[in-house]
Amino acid sequence: MDNFVYFFTFQDLSILYVVIGIILLGIGSAYVGTYSFLDKKALLGDAISHAVLPGICLGFILAGEKNPVYIVTGAFISGGIATFLTSWLKKNTKLSEDAIIASILSVFFGFGIVLLTVIQKSGNPEMAGLNHFIFGNAIAILEEDLWIYGGLAVIIILSLTIFQKEFSLLVFNSDYGKAIGYPMEIIRFAFNVLMILSVVIGIQAIGVVLMAALLITPGAAARFWTDNLSKLLLLAALFAVVSGIAGTYISFVLPQMPTGPWVVVSLSFIALISFLFAPKKGTITRYFSRNQYLKKTNNEHLLKALYKNRELGQRMLTIENIYELYPYQKKEIKHSIEFLFKEGLILKNQNFISLTDYGIHEAKRVVRLHRLWETYLTEYMNIAPDHVHDSAEKLEHIITPELEAQLEKRLNFPQLDPHQENIPRD
Amino acid sequence: MSFDQNAFLIILTGSLIAISCGLLGVFMMLRKMAMTGDAISHAVLPGIVIGFFVAGSQRGLEVIIGAGILGIIATLIIDWLRKKARVQLDASIGITFTLLFAIGIILINLFAYNVDLDQECVLYGEIAYLPIDLWVTGSGTILGPRITYLAVLNFTLVAGFIYFFFKELTLTSFDESFGSVMGIPSKGINLALMSMVSYTTVSSFEAVGAILVVALLVVPPATAFLWTKNLMPLIKLTTILGIGISILGYYLAYLFDSSIAGMMVTVAGVLFLLSALIKGRSSKSAGTSMANI
Amino acid sequence: MIIQAESPVLEIHDMTVSYDQSPVLWNIDFTLPSGQLIGILGPNGAGKSTLIKAIMGLVNPTGGYVKVFDKPLEEVRSRISYVPQRESVDWNFPASVLDVVMMGTYGKLGLFKRPGKREKEVALASLDQVGMSAFINRQISELSGGQQQRVFIARALAQDADLYLMDEPFAGVDIATEAAIFELLKKMALEGKTVVVVHHDIYSAMTYFDWMIMLNLHLVASGPKNQVVTEELLRKTYGGKLNLLSKVSELVRKQDFNPLEH
Repeated sequence: MDNFVYFFTFQDLSILYVVIGIILLGIGSAYVGTYSFLDKKALLGDAISHAVLPGICLGFILAGEKNPVYIVTGAFISGGIATFLTSWLKKNTKLSEDAIIASILSVFFGFGIVLLTVIQKSGNPEMAGLNHFIFGNAIAILEEDLWIYGGLAVIIILSLTIFQKEFSLLVFNSDYGKAIGYPMEIIRFAFNVLMILSVVIGIQAIGVVLMAALLITPGAAARFWTDNLSKLLLLAALFAVVSGIAGTYISFVLPQMPTGPWVVVSLSFIALISFLFAPKKGTITRYFSRNQYLKKTNNEHLLKALYKNRELGQRMLTIENIYELYPYQKKEIKHSIEFLFKEGLILKNQNFISLTDYGIHEAKRVVRLHRLWETYLTEYMNIAPDHVHDSAEKLEHIITPELEAQLEKRLNFPQLDPHQENIPRD
Repeated sequence: MSFDQNAFLIILTGSLIAISCGLLGVFMMLRKMAMTGDAISHAVLPGIVIGFFVAGSQRGLEVIIGAGILGIIATLIIDWLRKKARVQLDASIGITFTLLFAIGIILINLFAYNVDLDQECVLYGEIAYLPIDLWVTGSGTILGPRITYLAVLNFTLVAGFIYFFFKELTLTSFDESFGSVMGIPSKGINLALMSMVSYTTVSSFEAVGAILVVALLVVPPATAFLWTKNLMPLIKLTTILGIGISILGYYLAYLFDSSIAGMMVTVAGVLFLLSALIKGRSSKSAGTSMANI
Repeated sequence: MIIQAESPVLEIHDMTVSYDQSPVLWNIDFTLPSGQLIGILGPNGAGKSTLIKAIMGLVNPTGGYVKVFDKPLEEVRSRISYVPQRESVDWNFPASVLDVVMMGTYGKLGLFKRPGKREKEVALASLDQVGMSAFINRQISELSGGQQQRVFIARALAQDADLYLMDEPFAGVDIATEAAIFELLKKMALEGKTVVVVHHDIYSAMTYFDWMIMLNLHLVASGPKNQVVTEELLRKTYGGKLNLLSKVSELVRKQDFNPLEH
């Protein structure tokens, strides 16, 4: 708890620097990553982040110490070469994109490892700091680092905000952009530069191996909550910032822990929650709304059964009669009876069940939709009358009042369905 | 130069690993699943660590089982994200491997005090220590370097797998739906291939490291693909490249005093880029390319 | 107009297929006669390819069933052959023409067995039938679109099936080749094989096919060509989608799950 208070009250200025750095980094990489996610180029970020390792090592060798300017420049150059090679190979060889990305990623990383072992054996005492670039250590961000990493992050955020229109054009419909006179090649180039920069600023805190997560996961998670680009970017940034701070806090409390893995785990946790529980798109949400829907269909089927019986002149059914109609759904039917009774659609008289006036109105609506759809299928889709029932059994629950009106008009308010049954109206 | 037994053993082991990876890699590449291979090789890390923790050493069968399970879990998560959560494929791969890899690193750091698991060894491998890591039987007989035995076993299984399922692997790589139409169990073949890739990753990680396995998986096949037009020549050239990069990698690492595995990958990378320069453009074919991940 | 066939080779019963939760085929129900050349016609996006894929079990219908030779698909796989769309594979795959055609024999070979001399002869004979004998060692990416199409047909022939389903085998094929392949398909039909072809050109369809299936998200017609190719049915097939049907499809797609599935 003391740790918590100490960390979040920023008594220690160096913690404040770290947190500011993480916030800027989170927003910057989430912005860039969301665009590249929408561009279906998420793994290019992975390739670039592995590919900056040799640049970092070369920067270190040239500077002889962990100088942020050398390292950022080295990382930027080797990331740039990797990006260029990726698109050159795509254009000039028969290799598929995934093979190219995997090759570039692993070759650059392998070369980086060679340089790393060379530095290791040179016995440079600052070597330990270099290892942080592999898995990240946000706590090691110093004030002088912040000026460089933070400054670059601000540039990324500003460029993406100011040129939101151009970059969305690039992602959604590049050809169209070209057709209406936008310099798409320059925009693509600018975007690649921003992407490399966002990787470069992340390596100190997150590390080269896991940086891809900060680019890919926030956008993918945020996509579950909204379809609007501006909201998507804000949400992705929020997710990245929250996980960034969480990861930093953990590696502050447990100093032997690298930051990167914890940021990734928190991010993935947020993503998992989004995949499961986001409204409309989450899998659990979908599961529940499907259950809800199945309940609705049961209720409506019961109403229909009662109404059809009424058509045959029988005003009520016993519960046993209903169970016989749906022998495998005893439990569901019981629920439906409870529900319809509560909603005032049916009356229960001891064991007998009958429709209320409101129930008759609702039942008529469902029966009408069923029979209208059957009529439509036979008249417009040439489907034999004995084959239309199953389809109508499903669609009667989802046809909206507007569609119903259109069906009525198209079919010219028919009196009878294909089975010569009356289409009921109020 | 006189016959150097250590050099021979290292090169032999390196070649065997490079060939095993390359053989599987040919089919991963042709299936456009190179990045899935990358994901698997990252994702087995937590399995290795847990197996290590259970067994108390990195020699246990538990390590191989743990990693094998994780490899399959990774493909299942990717599949779940794609089909059930409807996340696009590239993002599914990215999310899955970063998460599993992060968990692996956290576990290493948690267990670091209890077991002797070297983060750098797991990640980058150290094939150079191979001659001193010997397999000693209960009665004290020294049978030779342990990792070489693992590599021989791995190579035999991979070669056998590809030999026996050659026809199925080829057909489902070229045209999966035609395969399923003929009643070939494409899903089973695919899962078997993924299992072989995870097993190979684990079997090789001590020598070349979990991350560099992916380089051996992808780069030699991609290089050979630029030079060949048929599957058999592609496989043969991949094999030759595997041997070549082991020899060159070993001596260059010796020369620069650096990681052997890293140098093997660097050599592979140089050969790859040279091939692309020579064969680029001219080989760009007129056929339709479905080059999407 | 839907005319049922007597002792049909293929029976589709009340099948609905959704793709990405949007129904692309509604309540398809027809039967096909044996030994005929059958065309599937319809505008773009009418669900022609989906129909073939559903017959082959490559996509799962949300309702209804398919029976081939009066049996479920799994029992008769070896008697059905399939020519996918040319774009469905990457032609940069390192294989020769002969390699690809040999793949047609893999289904009958079973696990572990390798193709041998007999399989090679079958493949060579199939290549001869489509007039590609001169190209057996050519790498497949070096072929023209029409030649690639013929390789796919040869691969299907090598399978030696009784029912052939072909998805747009004439896309990108020149007229002379098209005529030659149609002659080949006609000969196969005369030998008692049933050949079902997705086709987009109504004029050549009129000359070649015996039986037509006309599709536009739902089945407009199925029957002998001179009975079903009428002005009215053509207008129903090509005269735009049914407005209401599209709206219902949209409604289904907007749900959080597919309400047509059970």
